[in-house]
Amino acid sequence: MRRTSINRPPTPDPEESEIREPPSLQDLVNIKLLESGEKERLKELLRERLIECGWRDEMKALCRSYARKKGRNNVTVDDLIHVITPKGRASIPDPIKAELLRKIRSFLVATAL
Amino acid sequence: MSGQSDDTTSPTSQLSSHVFFDLLDSAIADIASECHRIAWLELDRNLEEEEAEMKLSEEARERVADRTNLAESNNNKYVIDIFGNTHPTVANDTFKCMNCDRLIAAGRFAPHLEKCMGKGRKARLKTTRSSTAAATQNLQSRSGSQMFPLYSPQIGSGTVSRSSNGRIAGSGTTGD
Repeated sequence: MRRTSINRPPTPDPEESEIREPPSLQDLVNIKLLESGEKERLKELLRERLIECGWRDEMKALCRSYARKKGRNNVTVDDLIHVITPKGRASIPDPIKAELLRKIRSFLVATAL
Repeated sequence: MSGQSDDTTSPTSQLSSHVFFDLLDSAIADIASECHRIAWLELDRNLEEEEAEMKLSEEARERVADRTNLAESNNNKYVIDIFGNTHPTVANDTFKCMNCDRLIAAGRFAPHLEKCMGKGRKARLKTTRSSTAAATQNLQSRSGSQMFPLYSPQIGSGTVSRSSNGRIAGSGTTGD
């Protein structure tokens, strides 16, 4: 039996989640982003920029070499995320980060948060 | 910019930062998921072969460059024909492969075509190759990937039924 390579967190039980804390500011922001469709647009923009600058290809190369070392059928999605995240976060080109932050900021200001 | 304070710990900055890293995590998870799929479905086999191919191609070209300098003092390594010409072991002209649009040394052309056009078992996963290649070439030339739909129906129609677990899509690019 193969061990699962994709680990999903268990679906939260409806009973347990009824006792909920009031939404935090982060949550409110998130909801606003989602509802207005801005999150989707920002995601697309980020994706496009990261492809253009070759960041995506670098990350894919990291994954490939990791998979080669560890053995193709031994990698899990979590493994790959852990492999990419530190290098990924550190190697975001500054102009891209600045552009995104600028857009996010103006959204926040526009929705008066 | 927006007139907010430059203090990077201001609530707006923190929020922005948080949102940004959220988006980044999405992008990372996206890539991890795709690479996970590629690893398990072995869609990158052709990529490894191509990388090996390119190395051999370059090595061959280097050898040729070295040898043309040593041609005359080289007694044993070449056949010298009646006109006094020597042939390099590996032809040094490069040609563009019509399938994948890469420059390949002439001497490596036939083996390259074998792999590229699918005589071998490994090259048979052609539909997936076209989607991988289309994805990696997406950046370089969008028009380049237009070529693949021409090839994949011929090669791919045999492939789809032979795919290892039926989960490989028929043709076309992955949602990249």
